[in-house]
Amino acid sequence: MAERLDPRFDLSFTLNGAPVEVATTTATTLADLLRERRDGRGTKLACERAVCGACTVLIDGLPRAGCSVFAFEVAGCEVVTVEGLATDGALSPVQAAFADNAAFQCGFCTAGMILLAEALLARDPDPDEATIRDWISSNICRCTGYGPILEAVGDAARRRREAAR
Amino acid sequence: MTATTNDPPTRNIGRADRRADAREKVSGQGVYTVDIDLPGMLHARVLRSPHGHARIRAIDASAARAMPGVHAVLTRDETAAIPMPVYGYFIKDQPIVATDKVRYEGDIVAAVAAEDEGAANRALAAIRVDYEPLPVVTDLESASDPDAAELFEDAPVGIVPKYGAGASGALRPRRNVCYRFSYETGPADAFAECDHVFEDVFRFSRMHHFHLEPFVCVADWSREDGVALWTSCQNPFAVRKEIARIFGLAENRISVRVPYIGGAFGSKNGCKTEPVALALSRLAGRPVRFCLTLEEGFLTNTQHAAILKLKTGVMRDGTLVARESEILLDSGAYSDGSPLVAEKAGYRISGPYRYRRIKTDCYSVMTNTAPAGPFRGFGGTQASWACESQIDMIARRLGIDPCEMRHKNLIDLGEPFVPGESGMDSDLREGLDLVVRELGYRRRGALPDDGAVKRGMGLAIGFKDGGGINKPALARVKVSTNGDIFLQCGTVEIGQGAHTALSAVAAERLGADRARVRYMPIDTDHSPFDQGTNASSGIAVMGQAVDRAALAARRQILEFAAGTLGCAAEELDLAGWEIRRGNEAHPLAPMIMDRFGGTGWEFVGEGFHKAPNSPAAPLESPCVFWEIGWGGAQVAVDTETGKVTVETLFVTGDAGRAIHPLVCRGQDEGAAVMGLAQALFERMIYDGSRLVNGDALTYRVPLADDLPADFRSVTQEQGHGPGPFGAKGMGEGAMLPVASAIANAIHDAVGIRLTELPLTPERVLAALAAKDTP
Ligand code: FES
Ligand code: FES
Repeated sequence: MAERLDPRFDLSFTLNGAPVEVATTTATTLADLLRERRDGRGTKLACERAVCGACTVLIDGLPRAGCSVFAFEVAGCEVVTVEGLATDGALSPVQAAFADNAAFQCGFCTAGMILLAEALLARDPDPDEATIRDWISSNICRCTGYGPILEAVGDAARRRREAAR
Repeated sequence: MTATTNDPPTRNIGRADRRADAREKVSGQGVYTVDIDLPGMLHARVLRSPHGHARIRAIDASAARAMPGVHAVLTRDETAAIPMPVYGYFIKDQPIVATDKVRYEGDIVAAVAAEDEGAANRALAAIRVDYEPLPVVTDLESASDPDAAELFEDAPVGIVPKYGAGASGALRPRRNVCYRFSYETGPADAFAECDHVFEDVFRFSRMHHFHLEPFVCVADWSREDGVALWTSCQNPFAVRKEIARIFGLAENRISVRVPYIGGAFGSKNGCKTEPVALALSRLAGRPVRFCLTLEEGFLTNTQHAAILKLKTGVMRDGTLVARESEILLDSGAYSDGSPLVAEKAGYRISGPYRYRRIKTDCYSVMTNTAPAGPFRGFGGTQASWACESQIDMIARRLGIDPCEMRHKNLIDLGEPFVPGESGMDSDLREGLDLVVRELGYRRRGALPDDGAVKRGMGLAIGFKDGGGINKPALARVKVSTNGDIFLQCGTVEIGQGAHTALSAVAAERLGADRARVRYMPIDTDHSPFDQGTNASSGIAVMGQAVDRAALAARRQILEFAAGTLGCAAEELDLAGWEIRRGNEAHPLAPMIMDRFGGTGWEFVGEGFHKAPNSPAAPLESPCVFWEIGWGGAQVAVDTETGKVTVETLFVTGDAGRAIHPLVCRGQDEGAAVMGLAQALFERMIYDGSRLVNGDALTYRVPLADDLPADFRSVTQEQGHGPGPFGAKGMGEGAMLPVASAIANAIHDAVGIRLTELPLTPERVLAALAAKDTP
């Protein structure tokens, strides 16, 4: 019965730049699919109700709640997770800014916050404070009180602009 | 953020470098309990009571047991074979699964371990439970009435800890009260000499911790010779002890491992998911993962709602004389940490002020709601809310400025809080003056009003004894031939920055950079014993053990080198894994290989710390340090809509010495934002015994958007702490003053006094209306 309601199928998408072919089920969420992989546990699950954003991943560049996206929805898409941000072991400017500003405590929201910031800065390389606050308000951090996160995003924007120069 | 220390810079102390856990946490590599995956691991789900209070007539789980993919079903039939299937801190009243009764909506009735969570959920749906509903108890004030239903007809096993001068505890002092803490000092007739006596009642709302990593563990009892447990838990040794007692196991057969914890704020003290997972693992013979949903988190542990009645005697000039209080804490259906919270709420209710007479009774009242337990502030939040509101009210009644009233009565630096206690280790006036300056409090009369929008400012001083009661700490520092440092201690990394701060202390003593230290994973088989990561004890208590362990290792290294170099150890210094003697430098690695050969050697230093016991101290041992959170707020109150906008929030704690400034700031600001949310909107809403907003969408936690336009913190470094380099603990203090500072600011703005949290527009409007109708 369970099998019939939840048929298996083959899914292909791009994960952090590399093609993925995987057999999964129609009821599997993207976050669960990612977390089943040894290298996919950086994506965290908290509310599983598309509220907290801990599970944020980028799908074709847009931040989405991985807990509330079915795996089949990403067929043919580019998916980026926290594991895909560093290049050759070097942290991305956003990751580095989060590290240097202590924009995390327990770290459970951090992957989601960083991906949210990556999406913002890809769209708007020089966001003002209100825009940063607005974007960061879509995710929950219970630890930091947000100040260091907001500062880290501003800092990351500066680092990215400097790197682009 | 400013540091105010005059101490010279050091290699590690006071440096705002990257936290020790930065790289792992920003790259998604940090391992949490949710990430643990064992071969053959099953998944557990539990059946929860739909009733607030009911007797269980029968449970039929036969259909569930027969379902495909189901490997174990746990009901009262199975737990009957467990030696002591109940748990709790002081009082062992919470069953692994319900036996005779359910006592709240969400109480665990049965559990299933299956191939996946879906199969487990389907099996739960097939379990039939026949309930006989009973009347519920949800109101704190009527819970002890003779006609109130009783949660526990028989007394569970419980203990009262040892208390010193003036303090006492009692189990079941009256109906539906599991514990009473009382404290008394000074002459009973002190009220008689007061010019005024003021009685006020305050109500405190209840929050859920809303830690993002759920309650979760992985239990492996697939082998006869012992159990392994990975758990998101603040006190692994306490859980080990409980597991040993519950299941009749030897403690050396139980390995508890704690990876990174994704937040807890008090909730992850003591057994939560572990007993169910272990019982299922034993039945199934396979490892079991038990991960609660966030919704189930609301049903597992919460803060204490409270009613606080204060009677305060005062002289005409504002001198405080006497304080009597009665506090009722809503402890929910099981005692959990409630007796301890009662102790602390009761003890802290007089605040950081000097009284001749204090008398307190604090009751843990059982209700048919989710169990309440430790929550950041630990009774101090409730106490500070009432205490700091009433001080302001009294000042205004007497026509004294609230700031002057505080100044007049604050305990002096070094003055004991009460007889037998340790001395105050912060200059309270210095902190208050800082808030006054940062806020511009003296100029508040000139704040502009915008039509219906009125502005005001308020101050408050949150106060608690920090570092835990009678808490020992052990640490071990090992240094390898190459100068690599292993730091072993039981403080778990919960986000507070323990790895960073404690590693910095060890590195500093060994003349090394912090990067040379590895903070070793927590495993009760190898980590030195520890009572738990709580009570802001990391730096002030464990820090002292780490400091001593590092100094012991250092002494061994210097003595070894002195023997080799043929001089006295006192002539030598240690830096960068070289021995310095005058201007000679002797690398240690070759010196060690020369002496020991083979694979070399490891120096091992052990460190221990515990505040000495004293019968004169009310709570067994004098307080380790005083955790103070000063706060100030500027609000704008819209008298037409009742909306309160916090325009400025300023908080400041005293780190004593900030071992890592970013970590200190994070503790204060994170705590302050929790306090802000509690002040304005965040709360669990119960309708009778039913929680109506126990999910992420309807339970509102603060977002970045909720920060005041002007939100600042300052980490003071007054230098009087007992910890290494003068450090004090942090983490709870800055939550404590926020709600009362805002309520005081509202009073300043529009002349109304709200005594119940949260400070909603409805309550503001109602108070404004009441003020206008004399
Ligand atoms: S876990 Fe996906 S939004 Fe909370
Ligand atoms: S760092 Fe813990 S939730 Fe954000």
